[in-house]
Amino acid sequence: MSSKESCRTELRTAIRQLSDRCLYSASKWAAEQLIGIEQDQAKFTPSNTRFQRGSSSIRRRFCTNEITSTPPTDVAYVSTPVMEEDDAIHGDFYLLAKSYFDCREYRRAAHVLRNQTGKKSVFLRCYALYLAGEKRKEEEMIELDGPLGKSDAINRELVSLERELSTLCKNNMIDPFGLYLYGLVLKEKGNENLACKILVESVNSYPWNWSAWSELQSLCTTLDILNGLNLSNHWMKEFFLASVYQELRMHNESLSKYENLQGTFTFSNYIQAQIAKAQYSIREFDQVEVIFEDLLRNDPYRVEDMDTYSNVLYTKEYFSALSYLAHRVIMTDKYRPESCCIIGNYYSLKGQHEKSVMYFRRALKLNKKYLSAWTLMGHEYVEMKNTPAAVDAYRRAVDINPRDYRAWYGLGQAYEMMGMPHYALHYFQKSVFFQPIDSRLWIAMAQCYESEQLHMLEEAIKCYKRAANCNDTEAIALHRLAELHRKLGHPEEAAFYYKKDLERMEAEEREGPNTVEALTFLATHYKTQKRFEEAEVYCTRLLDYTGPERETAKSLLRGMRIAQSGFPSMDVEHFHP
Amino acid sequence: MAGAVKAPGVFAITPHKVSVCILVHSYASPSQISVPFPFSSVSQHSRLGLYLLALAKSCDDILEPKLDHLINQLREIDGLMDDWLTDHVTSRLSSLSSPDDLFNFFNELRETLGGPDSGVMDDDQVILDPNSNLGMFLRRCILAFNLLTFEGVCHLLTNIGIYCKEGISSSSYERRLDYSGNDLESLSEYENMDLNLVFKKINEEMEARKRATDQVTFHLHLPKDLSTLVEDVEVFADPKAEHNDKGRESSSYASGDLLRNVDPDNGVFLRTNWQIQGYLMEQADAIEKHGSSFTLNAFELTLRQLQKLAPEFHRVHFLRYLNNLYHDEYFSALENLHRYFDYSAGTEGFDFVPSAGCNDSGRFEIALLCLGMMQFHFGHPKKALEVLTEAVLVSQQHCNDTCLAYTLAAICNLLSEISFSTASGILGSPFSPMTNVGTSLSVQQQLFVLLKGSLKRAESLKLKQLIAANHLAMAKFDLTHVQRPLLSFGPKTSMKLRTCPIIVFKELRSGYHLISDFCCEGSTMTTDGAFSTAWLKNLQKPMGSLVMSQDSGSRNNSNPFLFFSQPISIPGSVLQLVGSSYLHRATAWEMYGSAPLARVNALVYATCFADASSSSDAALVHVKLIQHLAVFKGYKEAFAALKIAEEKFLCASKSRILILKLQLLHEHALHRGHLKLAQQACDELGVLASSVTAVDLELKTEASLRHSRTLLAAKQFRQAAAVAHSLFCMCYKFNLQVESATVLLLLAEIHMKSGNAVAGLPYALASLSYCQSFNLDLLRASATLTLAELWLSLGSNHTKTALTLLHGAFPMILGHGGLELCARAYITEAKCYLSDPSFSVSDNPELVLDPLRQAADELQALEYHELMAEAFYLMAIVYDKLGQLEQREEAASSFKNHVMALDHPHDVDDPILS
Repeated sequence: MSSKESCRTELRTAIRQLSDRCLYSASKWAAEQLIGIEQDQAKFTPSNTRFQRGSSSIRRRFCTNEITSTPPTDVAYVSTPVMEEDDAIHGDFYLLAKSYFDCREYRRAAHVLRNQTGKKSVFLRCYALYLAGEKRKEEEMIELDGPLGKSDAINRELVSLERELSTLCKNNMIDPFGLYLYGLVLKEKGNENLACKILVESVNSYPWNWSAWSELQSLCTTLDILNGLNLSNHWMKEFFLASVYQELRMHNESLSKYENLQGTFTFSNYIQAQIAKAQYSIREFDQVEVIFEDLLRNDPYRVEDMDTYSNVLYTKEYFSALSYLAHRVIMTDKYRPESCCIIGNYYSLKGQHEKSVMYFRRALKLNKKYLSAWTLMGHEYVEMKNTPAAVDAYRRAVDINPRDYRAWYGLGQAYEMMGMPHYALHYFQKSVFFQPIDSRLWIAMAQCYESEQLHMLEEAIKCYKRAANCNDTEAIALHRLAELHRKLGHPEEAAFYYKKDLERMEAEEREGPNTVEALTFLATHYKTQKRFEEAEVYCTRLLDYTGPERETAKSLLRGMRIAQSGFPSMDVEHFHP
Repeated sequence: MAGAVKAPGVFAITPHKVSVCILVHSYASPSQISVPFPFSSVSQHSRLGLYLLALAKSCDDILEPKLDHLINQLREIDGLMDDWLTDHVTSRLSSLSSPDDLFNFFNELRETLGGPDSGVMDDDQVILDPNSNLGMFLRRCILAFNLLTFEGVCHLLTNIGIYCKEGISSSSYERRLDYSGNDLESLSEYENMDLNLVFKKINEEMEARKRATDQVTFHLHLPKDLSTLVEDVEVFADPKAEHNDKGRESSSYASGDLLRNVDPDNGVFLRTNWQIQGYLMEQADAIEKHGSSFTLNAFELTLRQLQKLAPEFHRVHFLRYLNNLYHDEYFSALENLHRYFDYSAGTEGFDFVPSAGCNDSGRFEIALLCLGMMQFHFGHPKKALEVLTEAVLVSQQHCNDTCLAYTLAAICNLLSEISFSTASGILGSPFSPMTNVGTSLSVQQQLFVLLKGSLKRAESLKLKQLIAANHLAMAKFDLTHVQRPLLSFGPKTSMKLRTCPIIVFKELRSGYHLISDFCCEGSTMTTDGAFSTAWLKNLQKPMGSLVMSQDSGSRNNSNPFLFFSQPISIPGSVLQLVGSSYLHRATAWEMYGSAPLARVNALVYATCFADASSSSDAALVHVKLIQHLAVFKGYKEAFAALKIAEEKFLCASKSRILILKLQLLHEHALHRGHLKLAQQACDELGVLASSVTAVDLELKTEASLRHSRTLLAAKQFRQAAAVAHSLFCMCYKFNLQVESATVLLLLAEIHMKSGNAVAGLPYALASLSYCQSFNLDLLRASATLTLAELWLSLGSNHTKTALTLLHGAFPMILGHGGLELCARAYITEAKCYLSDPSFSVSDNPELVLDPLRQAADELQALEYHELMAEAFYLMAIVYDKLGQLEQREEAASSFKNHVMALDHPHDVDDPILS
């Protein structure tokens, strides 16, 4: 069991080592987690807890299962391994190179280190070269915008880097950081299996490099790959697993991992955001909103993950909150895909779809593989009635991540709009395959089957049943099921579903035409079944409503009276209130 | 991003174009002499000019040649100039080391162009007319260069560096003396040589195909898809494509090589949208033609690479769909189809569609049409029909009449292929405008109405190929269906329940008009690009020596335009359609019972349309010819021919050739009495059919018919009758009337063989009436023969009737019948005479002996032991009666031999094993 203290020491060392190697995002991540560890009461000083002030009661409210124990991991590392340091003169070169690197002059940094042989220098040189290549690639991608959208811009350093790193690796002259870089290069080259192996080696020998973990995570596209990894136990592995589960849509597993981790890293913003994202996926919007509010209070300049927050605000139609958020992120960093996406959401909510599309496009220009922007842009095009463009946008989302059920759903909807229900079915089927727990998808598919062209009612019933089984919030499924069964002449089933629908409406204290319809059917049904008592109950309830149904109920009651007593009863008038 | 694709045909400046510019510059250098410096004669100068013209014209080709290729071509041209040109180009290229050099170079180029007012031309000075081909080319290059950003210039510079390095390193092979090329270099040289060869091949092939596909009128793949569908399925059930050797060869070239050529590291550049479209079109053609001969993965790899290079080019997905379709990969085919139409909205590549009626809501009806045909291909007729119904609705909504016409044709095709047992619920509401005649129509009647409607629509839209395809479908319908008035009230006296061969052939003939239409138009359709590549291709061949060796006086003879003249081309799809009308004719004659005409038509197809035909059609013709051989020449020859056909066509599962082989084996085994083998062959045949009801009916009928025959041969009359009976029920259910006639005849035979001739008579008569109404003359003759046999077996007092019947059928049987039928007729005739009490053998022995001898001769080829034994037995009896003991013994021993052979069929060696 690693105590909080040991986590803290490990992270402190790791941050230093990571930023020494200019692995800034990893060191940022580690520092966030370091701060996230709950302080011991003994060292409790106001300044220490500055970051933790936001641990408001609101958050506590949602941390129902307070976990006291830290994650169950065996510590394989007594302490952070001490990395070798280069000697003084070489160290000077290193310092110069690092300064260049920090000024983003990557080639210059690499040049300074050209003759250095220390592991640290070699890593920094290779990393600088890699980044230089990436930078050039990005630039070329814009320059070489070929007529066919061809972007054959490649990182030209990859080949030589791969050669050098593989030799180092063969001669066992490589440290975990070098392995990470090697894995990165291999992944870019498309050699994913080896990349996986190398990255596993890297994280096993140095687990605190979150960048390595996230590269590994992006390679774990299926559960089988994940299970095939040979990872040693460490608390970092828990973070990794939680994030992989989330990506693989195993939201509950992911949530429980994160909640476990919160035992140690109680105030980690990262974990909070991840929990929010997971909650969003299982459509617990209220909780998500609370978490994000909390998060923004602690970390007001955060842009990461804020697109999820904006989605929640969008769904809840909080105009001003969304505009406030958009304003805030644009002041923080205008050129982040997330910022553009939030603004796009805002315009979409305002019904200004052209502008919204423009911002989504900008987001996509900044990050071509930004999944949700493609999907959201598809929604906008649907609103603008530009179905082909919508289809195109959705299709791109699907091709980036085939598991994106929303885009599949969007495709289905688009085709349904064009009056091609049969064609749309294919997409709805895909969508429910990836997200079988979402009732909306099932309902959409059922409506497709129900459409006049297809008229495949049996299939529609099957879909509605699935929808009813997975928490159909809008309560469409039960009603449709009852109606369909009635249409198909299955009175027993119809009665069953009307009854259920009725119960549900009672529970939610809703009333409407559906109630009347259900009551009328049930009354008539029980009457024909000669179960007069039940029929009478429903008839009486019907009398509370105005309209033709009331007359029907009256005549039904009269008929029953006659049938029961055997002679005509003259006055039902006293039932009249 | 939607709409982010740039317009096709962007003219980008590439290293190759730079080197062409260098050449143009040296061709028209602004010097004062009429023949500029390096050239020794006017002819040399003009030769270079011609070459440059071709290069400039071919600058829109798919692949740009690499430097070494260019150098090789240059060598042929300037052989006398000691490689001055090559050296000039390479040195000039390698001197371009900074962006400024490029700027200067293009400035210099501008000087070669005359001003707009260069009407006053100095005689001595070579100045390019800015409006000439070369001038235009130069201007385009200069413009493209001027449009480049500084980054673009940098990229051009890098690319020129790569281009030079490759070219120079590979030309080291030819200059071994100068450079001591190391192993690596020579290795790469071999690769490059290979590449050049291949490049030529691709060029040739593409050009040939381009001509063939120039005039597609609708969605590029649709007519082909449709026409193959029409042809493949119309005649017999299996649309699985076969392939021939030639196809395999060429396609493997193409796919393997594009792979290498498009590799960006090789320095060959992927070109404009338009060019890749062309390449993909050809590949689509090739896939549809040669089907599974494309290796799935190799081509998939090529496509994937192409997609990587041109992510905005969605046609690739369509090709992937086709590739998967023809390799029966249902899921990936489905996936790619959807992907293609999602991306392109069905609008990409519809260059040939008139823009009228095309709104910006996409053309998703085409997606539905394709999906429907795919479902049909994979044997989901029900689903296919649903999808096509939706396609009808959507095309009506979008007023896309062309698509509607094609969809209707596809539905007709589906309906005529897949026999639905009942009409109810098949065609939904969208058809009501067309089938509003009444809801009580049978499927056949609905089909007829649809066919008529589809034909009318196609005619009004002037879709020639569709018209022809519709005529073919009509012919097929008329062939197998009795026309009845759609409304069944009023006097019915004038109605005759017969098919009308005249109508069939009228329909077939109207299909031909297509070819004449295309003959007239064909000459105007060849494009400019095809010319220049042809010229380049011919450069190495006759012209190279011709021009070089002759002086300027005779140069007029070698008019370069001679090389441009090309044979008038008819699109391959049209040829396919016309060819398939011959196939239809052959089938029609087969059914009507004229063996020679059927054979002639099949032969015409095999000789004239072999190049254009899809491999499955080619296989079908082979099957027909081999069947003909088996029936008329015996098994030995048929098996020999089969062997050749098997080599020619890949014997994939479910292929026609495989089916034919099983059929032949079955018949052969049956005749020799090897019943186990016969049953085995027949079972295997049955397994080939799909298990889905109403699919592969042809094959299913065939299998159970053969099953019943085998049972009959094994003398298990009850089972045989049961099988035949259930088969008849199926035929009746699915309206297979032609097959019903055959089955009824078989039932009659079964009853006859079981000794119950009276029960057989009604079946034979029923079969006869079927034959009459469908004009199945040969089958009718054979039914008459069976009828005669039945009468004969009723007793000797019916011999007269039998003989009259037989003699009535004799002309048909002897003229068109196969060996077996003739032999049977002869034997029956002999039996008639023999059983006639008024006939005495000794008076007229030849009247009996002659037919018997004939029968024995003919049966020899078939190895039909049972009938042979019968013939010899009868002969022996006759000889006995005549008292010719020696001949009697001979006949008797032959009889014994055949009976023995029948009992021990295994002794004879197996033709398949040999």
